[in-house]
This record gives sequence, structure tokens and C-alpha cells, in this order.
Amino acid sequence: MNILRWWWGLLLAFALVAIGRAFLPLPFANEVLIFSIYTMGCNYLLGRVGFISFGQPAYLATGAYGAGFYLFYFGNNPYLGLLMGIAAGIVVSLIIGPLFVRLRGDYFALVNLALAVIIFYLMQKVLADITHGDNGLWYLTSLTSTPILDLTRPDQFFIFAFLVAFALWAFYKYLDDSIFGALCLATKINEDKVKFLGYSSFGIRLFAFVIANTTTAFAGAMYAVYLGFVSPAITGAERAADPVVVTILGGVGTLYGPLVGSVVYTGMKDVLSKIIGNWELVIGFLLVFIMLAGEKGIWGSLAPLLQKLFTRDGKAPDRGGSR
Amino acid sequence: MNTQLLISGIIFGLSLGGIFFLMSIGLSLCFGLMRIISLDQLLYYSVGAYLTYTIGLLVGDVWLGVIGGVVVAAIVSLLVERVVFRRIYERDLPFTMITSFGVLVGGVGVIKYFWGLIPRPVPAPIAAQVDIIGTDIPVYRLVIIGVAVLVYLGIWLFLNRTIIGKAIRAGTEDCEHVEGLGINVYRLFTITFIIAGGLSGLAGGLYAPLIMVDPQMGLEVLAFIFMVVIIGGLGSIKGTLISSLLVGQVVSLGSLIYAPLAQMAPFAVMLLILLVKPTGLFGSALQKR
Amino acid sequence: MSSRDEILAVAGLNAAYGESKVLFDVSVDVSRNQVVACVGRNGAGKSTLLKTIAGFLKPTSGTITSDGENLVAKPAFAIAGMGIKYIPQDKKVFSDLTVRENLELGSYASQDYDWVPVFDYFPKLKILMDRKAGYLSGGERQMLMIGRAILGRPKMLLVDEPTEGLAPSIVMHLRDVFKELAKKTALVIVEQNLPLVCAIADKIYAMREGRIVAELKERASIKPEMCEQYL
Repeated sequence: MNILRWWWGLLLAFALVAIGRAFLPLPFANEVLIFSIYTMGCNYLLGRVGFISFGQPAYLATGAYGAGFYLFYFGNNPYLGLLMGIAAGIVVSLIIGPLFVRLRGDYFALVNLALAVIIFYLMQKVLADITHGDNGLWYLTSLTSTPILDLTRPDQFFIFAFLVAFALWAFYKYLDDSIFGALCLATKINEDKVKFLGYSSFGIRLFAFVIANTTTAFAGAMYAVYLGFVSPAITGAERAADPVVVTILGGVGTLYGPLVGSVVYTGMKDVLSKIIGNWELVIGFLLVFIMLAGEKGIWGSLAPLLQKLFTRDGKAPDRGGSR
Repeated sequence: MNTQLLISGIIFGLSLGGIFFLMSIGLSLCFGLMRIISLDQLLYYSVGAYLTYTIGLLVGDVWLGVIGGVVVAAIVSLLVERVVFRRIYERDLPFTMITSFGVLVGGVGVIKYFWGLIPRPVPAPIAAQVDIIGTDIPVYRLVIIGVAVLVYLGIWLFLNRTIIGKAIRAGTEDCEHVEGLGINVYRLFTITFIIAGGLSGLAGGLYAPLIMVDPQMGLEVLAFIFMVVIIGGLGSIKGTLISSLLVGQVVSLGSLIYAPLAQMAPFAVMLLILLVKPTGLFGSALQKR
Repeated sequence: MSSRDEILAVAGLNAAYGESKVLFDVSVDVSRNQVVACVGRNGAGKSTLLKTIAGFLKPTSGTITSDGENLVAKPAFAIAGMGIKYIPQDKKVFSDLTVRENLELGSYASQDYDWVPVFDYFPKLKILMDRKAGYLSGGERQMLMIGRAILGRPKMLLVDEPTEGLAPSIVMHLRDVFKELAKKTALVIVEQNLPLVCAIADKIYAMREGRIVAELKERASIKPEMCEQYL
């Protein structure tokens, strides 16, 4: 496959993001980037592996508190904080993965959500001694400036987040195009056939589970560094709807869905919550509406259209996991 | 731990289990027959609680409030079934789960709109206490246990002695065959859904005096209900009963032993059971409809 | 054949499972009390044809009419209510319910509580009344399925591979049952058992790869050798 062809979708998407940065306020841009990384995990699980997870806040909290603990108790370097968060994510996913991944789809969803609630409760009450409960851990002022890109400064954080997101998207795109990506989809569609071919569906799912949730934990760590504090609010069950809604909104299983969905969702939230105090109402009905209307989401519906427009270019089709 | 504490702990656990049972029955039935995870049952739970509050306030009688709560919850669930679920029964599980989650969140939004965020207290309709083996037990808790038992018997009779109930049981095994006989399965779905919604509303109405009625109340019990349903096995009424009792006791007695861990204990139990039996104690393998 | 005798007319039927097409331009017709058999290799589309007529699969194009009513738009339970009953090949009964309760459901659906004909055909069921259907043998299940379906005096039965996997004695019993049933009910039978089919059928359709490739109407031509050439 032509190298330029492979990259040009990514380059275009992120060029758009960079341009958008010029027009949009910095906090918004940062929020969107982190949130779309958060959503990417959920998107991958649902679209490519077939797991619906309402419990993403659990892994978000894992990464956030992983970074937070380090930054509050041990060190000041934001980069190391991020690494701690990622490590926490990997560890938790590897411990929990083998049990959860064996479950049927519906049990998986329920169990994940239960996990989110448990972690919330853990952070809020049980471990309140070290987590300071609802007050959270604050370390914004103690973060040290980092060389090359100073993560304590929002505008430089944006550059960092931008680069990281780009790398992550390239990674996921690579994953999609690889054998592993094909196996994931195949397992989602017909697990038995994959087993007959000699692959371990359990292993495939576990690997995907760890990757997706580590991504989510990474987003959590980024939140921890960006905001300068962590608190249990990040893992509340109300927040469980967010990644799912954005995933659906953007388009399940599509590569750029999380980006598109993030922008739209965060934008809507900013604008609408000033007008309507009652944001849940909108999310809920929006979700129902999208599902009834065809569940393809924004990018999910646009992508095939754009594909038709560009078929002469021979752009490699973005095979969504959608039906 | 002295006997008094133990006895009140057990009774407390039984009443908690009773509430869990009323709520989980709906989820289990809906799954068994329609293969959907009806997360919106938590909404009907909240609706039941809020209507109990409002009607109880207006009329002065909390029991009427509970009845009103059940009726309204059933009506709301009927509307949701008609407008939303009826269109999506053939779709796969993640789809229906996400949609029901949307209904739940949107519905909570509606509740917030009408009632605001402030928690509402509901007075217990029976304040009396009774003495059991030297312990003072609130009669209300015993009433809850009694209602749960009655509901279980009622469901059992319905499923085993009425023709509609038998049709539902048959539908749990194979909906196509039921339809092939000439029975309108969609009507069965609606009936099941309304029963589930009404029972969830009953759970909410009965539980309201014991907790604060606030918009997040559904989400607070959500984890416990899930654990009950998973431990018992989706689709099994007997499993739901046993696991609600189990979880109720674990939480209640657990909090006597070591409070902070009590909430988490069911989770550990659930994980243990799932290790051995990934479909829960009485869960059956998923059959394609 | 006058149109008053015709109780099923399928014309130009096309059907697909998702993206893969299964039936191509299928046309069949069935008269009152006629026994029509459908033969063909596995995967030829025979079961799909029955399913589509019964309303469990919506065709992509074509018409299905019975006694003037269009079946395509109707849900499966309504078609069963019209007197067209479908008996799938999976030999499944409601295992948690007793034989009696299985029949009760059939009666409830059709409002026909006269079980005498059922016991005439299948006396064994009378003995098994209180046994949970899950404990029945394959042959007993098939009997129960047919017994359940004939409640309500349907005008047509769509039967999918009834003798598959059954012992020869039961197969012979079923052959006699079908012969009796055919006096009052039209039968559309999908079968691999050619001798059985040729013994009772008035007309045979042969299917291959989703199409009808032959229609054998003459008594003389209804022989296993004739069918085999189309398989």
C-alpha cells in the first residue's frame, strides 16, 4: 500500500484539528483531544470487538488516580505521572481482563458498570485516607515544568496532546489494517469460526481489552496532569454515558468517529448547558434518537458518502465495524 | 456481635433483598423473553419513588402514593415500549442496551426538570416497631419482606398457572415457535414490559421512605441490581430470588462486620461466582431467538 | 384448477438473508387438500421458502397470496391465525412445559380445545401428557409439534423435514398420518426422504440453488428416480 495513501487520512484529520485550534478556545481544544482519546477506547471495544462497556469511567479513574497518586505523593514530573497512569491501566486491565473477557456480551456490560461504581466507591470512601475522598488530590502547583514541552502550560500541553493523539490514531489505524484487526472483527462476528482457524478468541479479546482500556487509562492520566487534580467525580456512574454517547454519536467502529463525536459533543455541552440547565435530558433523548434513526452516527454516515466522492483516488476504505 | 444486632441485621438484609428482588425481576423477565437488557427499569424505579413522594404529599397517604407510583411507572414503561422498544426488538444486544441507557438518562433528566436536584424525604407509612426476640424491628421493613414474598408467589402463579404466563415461559425458550402457533408475541412483550415497569415502580415506592428520593437514586442501586442479576443468572426467576436474598444479606451483615467493605462485598461474591459459572448461578446459555 | 381450489399462490418470490440472496424468482401454487412436496439438496432454499411463506422472513420482492389475502405484509402469528401453520425442522418443543401445556398453548392460540383428533393421530401423546416435553424423544417431539399445529383445523401445514433423524417405524407412522391429514388439510412438505414423498405427494417441486428447476405434476412422473435427476 502506498505510504502516502495510508497516511493522508490521518494527516488531513489532524490538519483539520490544528486549524480548528486557531478558531477555538484552548480549553475547548484540550478537552476535545483528551475526551476523544477517552472515547477511542470505548469505540474500539464496541465497534471492533463487540463489547459494550458502560464502565469506561473505571479505567479512566485507574489512569487518573495512577497519575494522581504519583504526582501527589511521590514526584513532580508530569511525564512520569502519565507513565504511572498508563502503567496502572495496563496492570488493572491485565488483572481484570481474563475474567471479564470470558463473559457474554451482556454480562460484560453489566459487570463493567458495576466495576465503575465499585471504583468510585473505593476512591470516595474506602480509600479516603489516601485519596482524600470527594476533596480529591490537588497538586497543580507542585508540578514541575518539563523540558521540550512544558505540560504545565495549556498551550504546550495542547501540542503534546496533539502529537500523542496523532500517534495513537496512527497506532489504531495500523491495528485495524493488521491481521489482528481482522481477527478482532472476525471474532466479533463469528467467534467459533475464528477458533476453528486455530486462533484463541480469548487471547484476541484479551489483547484488545488491554489495549482499549490502557488507552482509556492514558486519557485519565492526561486529565490528571491537565487539570492538576483528581477526584472521584471522574468516575461517577452518570459519566458512564459520556463515552458511549460520543462513540455512537461519532460512529461506532469508525476511526475518526471519536474525534468527530468529541467535537460535537463537547461543543453541544458547552453551548447547551448554558441554555438548558438539564443536560441529561438532551443526552438521553439524543442517544435514543440516534439509535432509532440508524445508529451510524455522524462520521459513520458521512464516511461512506465521502468515500463515494473520493473513490477515484482509490482511498483505502475505512471499514467500519458496523453492520 | 450480639443477638439483637444480628437479628436486626438479618431483617434489614431481607428487606433489602426484597427491594432488590422487585427490581431485578423486571430485568430478568425482560431479558428472558425479549433478550433485551432493560436498563430503563431503573427509571421506572425512580418514577415510582417520586410519584410516591408527590402523591403522598398531596393526598396525605403514602400507601396511595405507592399505588400511584406503581400505576404511573407502568404507564411510562408502556409508553417507552410502544415508542422505543417495539421498533428495535430484532436488533442485537448492545444496540438495545445503549438505547435503554439513553431512555434511563433522558428520563432522569425529565425527573430533574420537574422535581429539581434536592433530595425529597418520604415519611414511612408505618412508624411502629415490633419486638422480635428482644429486638425492635420496624414493622415497615417486615411489610416490605411480605410484599416481596407475595410478589414472588404472584409471579410464580402467573408463570405456572395462567396460559399467558405459560406462553411467556415458552417464549423464553423460543419466541419463533410461540409465534408459529399463532400467538401474538408482541402482546406478550408488552405485558412483560409493563409488569417489569410496575414492579420496578413498586420497588421505588416501597423503598422511598427508607432513603432519600433524589434524581440519582436509580444510578445508586444500579450496581447492586446488576450484581443480583448476574449472580442469579439472567432470565431465571428462582435465581433472581436467591441472589437478591444473598446480596441483601451480604450487604447488611457485611456492614455490621466492617462497614466500608460491605458495599463492595457483593462485587467480590459476583466475581467469584463468575469465575466458576460465567452465566451466573442459574443462568442459561444464550439462545438465539 | 379453479381459483377457488387454490389456497396458496406464490409468484416471483425473491428473498435474502442480509446481503446473501437465497431465493430467486420462485413461484409455486397449492390447491385445497393437495400434498405438495419440495425436494432438493441441502442449501437449495427449501426451508427458506417455507419460512418466507410462514412470515418469518420478509421477501425482497414477489407476492404470496392465500384465499385472496396478501401474506407478505402480515406478521407470522397472523399468518398462523389464518390457518397456515409452520412446523420447523428443529424438532423443538417447549421443554420446560409438559406435553399437556404444549397442547394448551396450541389450543389457546387457535381457540380449538378439541384434542380428540390429535390423540387419534398420535395415541402415544395421551400417555405422555404430564411429562415435561424436554424429556421426549425425537419422534415424540415431532408428534407433539404436528399435534399442536393441527389444532384449529388449519387449511395448510408447512412441514420442514419431518422425518429427519427418526426411526423407520415412526417414519411410516408419519406417512400414514400425513395421508389422513391430506384429506382435510393441504400439506407443503420439505423432505429428503424421496420414497416417502413420492408415496404421498400429488405434486413435487424440485429446487436447486434457490430456484425451482422442475415441477412434477403427473402421477406417473412422481418417482424417486425422476426426482433424483434434479438434485
